[in-house]
Amino acid sequence: MTTNNGRDFYQEFEVFSSKSNGDQVQHQFSLLAPNEEIALVMAQENFMRRQPVADIWVVKRSNVRKMTQEEKESLHRLDNKEYRTTKGYGYLKKKWRHYEQNILDEKEILSWGGEEKQ
Amino acid sequence: MGRGGETMKSAQEAKADQNYQAALTELLYQLADDDFIIAFRGSEWLGLAPHIEEDVAFSSINQDTMGHAAIYYQLLEDLGQGDADALAHGREASQRKNAVLLEEVNGPGHYLKKPLYDWAFAVVRHYFYAQAKKIRIESLKNSSYQPLADAAVKINMELYYHLLHWKTWFTQLATAKGEAPERMKNAIEKVSADMGGVLALGPKEEEMAALGLIESEEVLTQRWNREMEKVFAPLPMSLPAVEMKRGDGRSGVHTSDLDSALTTLSEVYKQDPVASW
Amino acid sequence: MSTTLSYDRLSEEEKHAHFMERIEQGDKIEADDWMPDEYRMTLIKLISMHGISEIMGALPEKEWVPKAPSLRRKLGIMAKVQDEMGHGQLLLRVAEDLMKPLGKTREEIMQDLFRGDLKFHNVFHMPAPTWGDAGLIGWLVDGAAIITQTNMLKASYGPYARALKRICAEEVFHAQHGEAIIMALAEGTEEQRALIQDAIDRWWESLLMFFGPASSSTTGASKQDTTIKYRIRTKTNEELRQAFLDKYIPRVLSLGLTIPDETLHYDKEKGKWAYRQPDWNKFKEIVRNNGPKSKDRLDLRITAYENNAWVREALSPDGAVV
Repeated sequence: MTTNNGRDFYQEFEVFSSKSNGDQVQHQFSLLAPNEEIALVMAQENFMRRQPVADIWVVKRSNVRKMTQEEKESLHRLDNKEYRTTKGYGYLKKKWRHYEQNILDEKEILSWGGEEKQ
Repeated sequence: MGRGGETMKSAQEAKADQNYQAALTELLYQLADDDFIIAFRGSEWLGLAPHIEEDVAFSSINQDTMGHAAIYYQLLEDLGQGDADALAHGREASQRKNAVLLEEVNGPGHYLKKPLYDWAFAVVRHYFYAQAKKIRIESLKNSSYQPLADAAVKINMELYYHLLHWKTWFTQLATAKGEAPERMKNAIEKVSADMGGVLALGPKEEEMAALGLIESEEVLTQRWNREMEKVFAPLPMSLPAVEMKRGDGRSGVHTSDLDSALTTLSEVYKQDPVASW
Repeated sequence: MSTTLSYDRLSEEEKHAHFMERIEQGDKIEADDWMPDEYRMTLIKLISMHGISEIMGALPEKEWVPKAPSLRRKLGIMAKVQDEMGHGQLLLRVAEDLMKPLGKTREEIMQDLFRGDLKFHNVFHMPAPTWGDAGLIGWLVDGAAIITQTNMLKASYGPYARALKRICAEEVFHAQHGEAIIMALAEGTEEQRALIQDAIDRWWESLLMFFGPASSSTTGASKQDTTIKYRIRTKTNEELRQAFLDKYIPRVLSLGLTIPDETLHYDKEKGKWAYRQPDWNKFKEIVRNNGPKSKDRLDLRITAYENNAWVREALSPDGAVV
């Protein structure tokens, strides 16, 4: 029996994980494994031996569409998108004060979700 | 609480009942020595696994397992059996209660010279052992000795990964192309020939069950067989009857593999057993 | 911000200029970005050697993993040597991505190592005959490694910098693990103290060699100028060696241990340590796999690699021929 010396054993997988329940998943590193089941049992001990983990994803690298350098360098945009932000609406604070109301700023609006349970 | 009697909340309470203490220490030595010696064999694999990623993963399992042994040795220390490090490093082969299967060398060669270690044997031995350990730990969660039941709850947390890891390797290699299934079949036969020693609870088995320390050997063995049958069902091979061919480690019967293991693992310790290292 | 570029239309010189501009302004280069061949080849050589040295570096300590003298030490050294393998994994992945356009994989890295084309670090060719060596490796060899590795934390190559960040975080544990072993021996019996002193005497020359020759005129080869030019590292070999001596000589002496070099002293005028040069011819021989343990350690790796070939073949998704 001849093979290609087991070269195809080395498939590339990207490993992602989240630290705790409810946290977003973040890229960690890549590893080599013959298939996604083995990749999954390698992932935690290779990259997260000393940190809490709540979830792990492995993704075959060939399934990731990456950007070329040219595409990456084309990601810049004009610095004129203030209209997407609250910048320029600062005057409302003063206006509302005139009507004896407070401005609904980020801090105020996000507080409506209630206190996070400790 | 076990079916046999009261819950023992502390070492103090257990020591007051000689019968209980004898069965309890016997069980703890088996648990401690099993984990200690297989973690030692696992640690000899360091740097020699099929690929680097697995080397790292395997080492974590060995560390966990050595950590479990340390917990059991500590329980023995609390029962007045002596210092945990002395229990791990200082006891003669004839005093050890581990199953013979777990002391067996990883393969021909030495961990520093021409180690022709057998990955199929490693996978099968560790998988069969992890499954047996899982069943034992589930039972120990209800042990009448509260400190042991507490330890079992903690140890159990790490066993899911051990099982998943070994089961993945086991099923993949058993169903792979080429010579792998044949190698796995040979390893399964080899491991089964001594697996009985792992499932055994030794001469004090009846007292252990009666005192509610752990369920009976028969019950635990049945559970192990049931789990194995499920795993083997889709495989192109069957599980041979488990035996205890080379003797009962629970009674202190061991092979020369244990002697050489003890020489290695206690080499530095024995240079000065009273020194602080 | 650099302007948008259409790479197809740029000449090689323009690409090069754009690349140098990027690294000079602190941009990180990624695996699929354009890079000069010299940069790629320098990185491949540096990182594959670094990675394989971690893997080979597990072997001198391997002996002491099962032998560690207590449960605590057994667990500590298992975790520590596991990290070395883990560092090898991170670094080889970085090197493998750089080699990919050349059609090379981990298989070639291993074959290069076995053939002697890929060198591993001089210290890992040396014997480690006692538990004192296990302590010394954790303390001083890892100490030296921390100095060279932190020197590259800001490397222009992003994947290497990220791997080093993970590695250096773990090295803090290694350093203290080594110190704990040394401290127990230093405060122990006469025999225990002798274990460390012997280890220092044995390792001193290798520790000086660790950082490589001060200039290429010493051994005929040194990549330090290229690595500095490309912002992979910032300090020279000699600067790193001096930093090591600064940090560790006082610690060694404070434990009542001695250093086997009666000429060693701090030259206040030059602000540098003066030391007896190690035998650089010996260094050349060692890294050519003619060191005392080179063959044994290579044999160990080759045996493991060949012995497990069936596993990799069995699980190769496409390539195996039944």
